[in-house]
Amino acid sequence: MALDYRKCAEEIAKLIGGGSNVISAAHCATRLRLVIADNSKIDKKALEDVEGVKGMFESNGQLQLIIGTGTVNKVYDEFLAVTGVSAATKADVKAAAASKMPWWKKILKTPGDIFVPILPAIVASGLMMGIVEAIPKFWPAFGQSDWFSFLDLVANTAFALLPVLVAISAARVFGGNIFLGAVIGLMMVHPALINAWTVGTAEVIPEWHIFFYPIQQVGYQGHVIPVILAVLFMSKLEKLLHKIVPEMIDLFVTPLVTVLVTAFLTFTIIGPVFSFLENYVLIGAKWLAGTPWGAMIMGAIYPWTVFLGLHHMYNVIEAGMIAQTGLNTWMPIASAANFAQFGACLAVAIKVKNAKTKSVALPASLSASLGITEPAIFGVNYRFMKPFLCGMAGGAVGALFGALFKLGAPVYGVTGIPAIPAVNNIPLYLVELLISAGVAFVLTIFIWKEDKPKEEAAPVPEKAPELPTVSVIRCAAGAVMQPVKGNVIAREAIPDDTFASGVLGDGVGIEPEDELVVAPFDGTISSVAESKHAIGIEANGMEMLIHVGVDTVNMQGDGFECLVNEGDEVKLGQPLIRFSREKIKAAGYSDTVAVLLTNSDDLEGVECGAK
Amino acid sequence: MKSFEYTITDPVGIHARPAGVLVKEIKKYASTVTVNKGEKSVNALKLMALMGMGIKQGDTIRVDVEGADEENAAAEIEAFFKANL
Repeated sequence: MALDYRKCAEEIAKLIGGGSNVISAAHCATRLRLVIADNSKIDKKALEDVEGVKGMFESNGQLQLIIGTGTVNKVYDEFLAVTGVSAATKADVKAAAASKMPWWKKILKTPGDIFVPILPAIVASGLMMGIVEAIPKFWPAFGQSDWFSFLDLVANTAFALLPVLVAISAARVFGGNIFLGAVIGLMMVHPALINAWTVGTAEVIPEWHIFFYPIQQVGYQGHVIPVILAVLFMSKLEKLLHKIVPEMIDLFVTPLVTVLVTAFLTFTIIGPVFSFLENYVLIGAKWLAGTPWGAMIMGAIYPWTVFLGLHHMYNVIEAGMIAQTGLNTWMPIASAANFAQFGACLAVAIKVKNAKTKSVALPASLSASLGITEPAIFGVNYRFMKPFLCGMAGGAVGALFGALFKLGAPVYGVTGIPAIPAVNNIPLYLVELLISAGVAFVLTIFIWKEDKPKEEAAPVPEKAPELPTVSVIRCAAGAVMQPVKGNVIAREAIPDDTFASGVLGDGVGIEPEDELVVAPFDGTISSVAESKHAIGIEANGMEMLIHVGVDTVNMQGDGFECLVNEGDEVKLGQPLIRFSREKIKAAGYSDTVAVLLTNSDDLEGVECGAK
Repeated sequence: MKSFEYTITDPVGIHARPAGVLVKEIKKYASTVTVNKGEKSVNALKLMALMGMGIKQGDTIRVDVEGADEENAAAEIEAFFKANL
């Protein structure tokens, strides 16, 4: 289960004393960085317990909340919305730009973002539907009972009206008004339209003649993509209108125009184009299913058609097959594909460490075994992608097996376990299911790895560092070992007047040959410059400043990576800062590292120079 | 004790170099000088602590000067801030 960004942002805002207590807000790849007016208003303990906050600390006058890659930007956006804080310094904008993904990745990610919030509804509905529809296969009398009719209604509500849930969630993702989004979703499953689930059996489909071509009055039950596209358009249009419509009439003009134009576009262009494509998918699917190899390909791509919401149309193919030959040979393909998604999802459920993912994957896989794969596909497999692909492989193998042994059933509308009593060869059908799920399960176990949230890993030294053996400064309190490999020069030779003059304390310069600063002694990190190019370390009364390059503060952190945090205990030789000599040179600065004892005046017997 | 408030105009804030210059200036006086920002306060002679406050351009700090020469020191230090930071 993914994080509720809004909730997370709201809780953070509350615990830091509200938006009025925020001076500025920014974020980097993993952290929300806040500058707070009155620190006493912060409830630090509660902050750490907010769902989504993986850790917090204060550094350089910032309250830093570790949220995580890919998540922090969403929480940040919500945070700005919740608090009304606006922050757009140059550095912030830069950070935001850096976290942007390539367009194709965003497109692949969007359906996931939309489905994650509605997963509880889909999981509940899918699981219930699988169970309720399976019972009559073993106990036909139950199917006639009032209990069945009631439970079936409860179970299929979320699926029958799925476009509404999708529309609301999509409106949130795209930044449109969620109530207008709901209206678009409701419109697409309006009771006055022919239900898309039954359109295959309808004799006459009424049409509208409001445009230069007829528009079929068919709903979008079970569809996903046209709904997302419609709401995407709606959200863009709404934002545009808010910008250009004068404020005085905005409240009634914008929603009206938004809904009307979106509705028109949905039924005249998005819908028909999609139906057109659907027909070709159906023709192609029918043709493919006719041969074993075709069945294999269909078994592989079937989950994509579930993803697109096209699979409901397969009832038409199945019904046609039964009418012609009395045997539905499409079912084994669908069963293989669905059961393979079950196998992949089960593998995730077993392998995953994250408790939240486990709690979604387990019921989702159960529901998939009963033939309802949406929770497994949207909630688990597609999100991680690799299990989805492994499921495609399992589906392909299973479908090939089914076609070779001419498996089929005289019924349609069921797959997986509930279809068992209906198939023409039960043992072989069980083998097919086992192959499909088995292939997907084993592949997923081996290929898929859980992404570890990077920021949770402690700053581990990447390799056992060689301990520096040369001391550069010695005094009564101890020795300062050389923190960077390179040529040691006198303090006076550092190409910067301030360092050279000794105002910042006595010490040496190093012309680096390497790009790593390590701790010159066992000590405590006393300060880390926000621009990551300088670090302070204290031990035994020695206060040490290691400053990489001259005037490099102007690079604002670009080319520098700080590997420790303020307050960290470090050991001699532990990596502290990684820097790019190339970038320093490109910025036009000297890369000489100043190694200075800032309180050298208070220390006894200070002696500088490599030894 | 004498106090004054000052808003930093130096684009890099109180970073290594400006901090060093400040410490050097403050060492001239007998008074104890404390730099306060928000809740935090540090002895202005402690260079690393001063830098650790992360004082940036636009931040307003309060400087407290306490000791025998505080009258003179506060005036001189304030003038120094205006000229250098």
